[in-house]
Amino acid sequence: MSQIIISVGREFGSGGRVIAEELAKRFNLPIYDRHLITEIAEKTGLSTDEIEALDEAPKSRLTSRRVRGFSNSIEDNIAEMQFDFIRKKAESGESFVVVGRCSESKLRDFDCLVSLFIIGDMKAKIKRVMEIYDMDEEEAEDFISKKDKKRKRYHNYHVGLHWGDSRLYDLTVNSSRLGIDKTIDFLETYIKARMSK
Amino acid sequence: MLAAQIFAVIIFIAMFLMIVLDKIERHFVTLGCGLLTLVVVFGICMRSGSAIWQTLAVRDFVKPDFWYQVTESESKGINWATIVFIAGMMIMVEGMAKAGFFRWLCMKIAFLVKCRTIPVFITFMIMSSVLSMFIDSITVIMFLAAVTIELAQLLHFNPVPMILSEIFCANLGGSATMCGDPPNIIVGTSLGFSFFDFLTNTGLCAGICLVFTVIFFYFAFKKELAPTSNEPVDIAQLPKPSTAITNKKDFIVSSIIFGLAVVLLVSHSATHLTVATIGTVIAVITLIANAKDALELLKKVDYKTLLFFVGLFIVVGGLEETGILKYIADFIGDISGGNAYIMVAIILWVSALASAFVDNIPFAATMVPIIQSLAATTGVPIATLAWTLSLGTDIGGSATPIGASANVVGTSVAAKNGYPVSWGRYCAKLAPATVIVLVISTVYVFARYL
Repeated sequence: MSQIIISVGREFGSGGRVIAEELAKRFNLPIYDRHLITEIAEKTGLSTDEIEALDEAPKSRLTSRRVRGFSNSIEDNIAEMQFDFIRKKAESGESFVVVGRCSESKLRDFDCLVSLFIIGDMKAKIKRVMEIYDMDEEEAEDFISKKDKKRKRYHNYHVGLHWGDSRLYDLTVNSSRLGIDKTIDFLETYIKARMSK
Repeated sequence: MLAAQIFAVIIFIAMFLMIVLDKIERHFVTLGCGLLTLVVVFGICMRSGSAIWQTLAVRDFVKPDFWYQVTESESKGINWATIVFIAGMMIMVEGMAKAGFFRWLCMKIAFLVKCRTIPVFITFMIMSSVLSMFIDSITVIMFLAAVTIELAQLLHFNPVPMILSEIFCANLGGSATMCGDPPNIIVGTSLGFSFFDFLTNTGLCAGICLVFTVIFFYFAFKKELAPTSNEPVDIAQLPKPSTAITNKKDFIVSSIIFGLAVVLLVSHSATHLTVATIGTVIAVITLIANAKDALELLKKVDYKTLLFFVGLFIVVGGLEETGILKYIADFIGDISGGNAYIMVAIILWVSALASAFVDNIPFAATMVPIIQSLAATTGVPIATLAWTLSLGTDIGGSATPIGASANVVGTSVAAKNGYPVSWGRYCAKLAPATVIVLVISTVYVFARYL
């Protein structure tokens, strides 16, 4: 396979982003995650902080409207710009890793797509979030729940299918079972098998 | 009857909420609610087959005055004339867009004023108003905003103030004629007013408001329109207007069809051809002229909007048949104490406020039977209330980014090209402009009709 696109969806705190970064390193591929934010910031003149606040966020239903495919919501337009960006990259023949952005559905027409969804046990996710964000247990659980709710609404609105539904992905993996490193090893083997097909 | 009234209100409120929440496509919402109205309100509660037939109004198509109208008549239930006319205009506009008409017009005007920022700003505002008198504001803004961004990149100015001004003027221009904005088509066809009636009443008001609007936006945006770069501008880099024309023959034909549509609309009170006839004639001519691409043009028609109208008229018919709208009319009559000034002020400002936040089409469709009832009970001429309602709904929609379709399309085109427009940015200048124009409209209606 000359082109490979690895799409990594993830629950918050599951280590999905770290897994995506490591896979990008092992396969020597560019990764589109934070890069997508700076790309859009440059294009819109908004700051990266402003884009980050609107990134992978659902629109407010009360302050936005959609007319014949046009939307006044900045969240919607940022999402559309990101979808266009990854689609153009895919169409250009580039191989890359992309984190989130409904990429498993937006790029599903590409045979070279390997779509992964990383989940984790709540206890493990809380522990991880407590360490990274310096939070207590209750705060971490609340934070995870809010982030996942936001991602779910964003995904379901733009795709119309359920976020995390295993039928959307090639593999859904619980990173708490093998730990982050061994999960990466496992996924590397799977991707290599797909590439040699 | 009480059960029918309760269900009619519940269905109507549920429909409005679902439209606002935008979880289900709005044509499914109105069609579903329309079906519920037919079954529950008319069928189960009222057991009235005649109410169902009256609301479906399918017999309208075989009535001669649906196509040729010598005396003015009012319609009830599904307003098929509105739907047929909008469908016809959609086909014509698709034909024009395909030939490159709109892009050519925008580029031509920009070149006529030598691509200087302020003259472009002023002429585009006027063009936006004039085009919106005949063509739906979504199409007008889609092309105007795209060309504005192209010009902004070459002339080094921020396109957002210009796009916002174009949006405002498109909504204002739409208020000037019967076919400019869907609420006006509903008001006109429901109450039997002609294109010329609108032009000489709301049109005059819109013309006065446009003068104030251009002056207001000039001073409001003057600083923001200053060049953002000192790089010299080379207008030779801009594509020539003629390059916008995709096919010369199609371009000429679509221009002639557009001209014919304008002539038919302006003269329809003299020719007695109804807007349904005009819409059908224009659609048929466009399809014959573009015979090779007729199927493609038909596929591009926005059927979702047409179905949205069908469902909406049924739900509003439910409120009308059960007498709910009569109660609301009586309530407005009571709180105004029969004073025409208060009544007009309430209709204008409440319509404007509602249209700033919710779709003005269902609002106008609901208000038409209310003003009919008000006119009958209070003696205030129906024409006065009709112009008031049209001005309120059309102009009020400009105040927020979600008030009218043109606002959504314009801000979306800007955002997609790297110029996101927040609510604060939008409302800072357009909300005051809306208030100014509403004040002028209030004074106009008071002075001319009361």
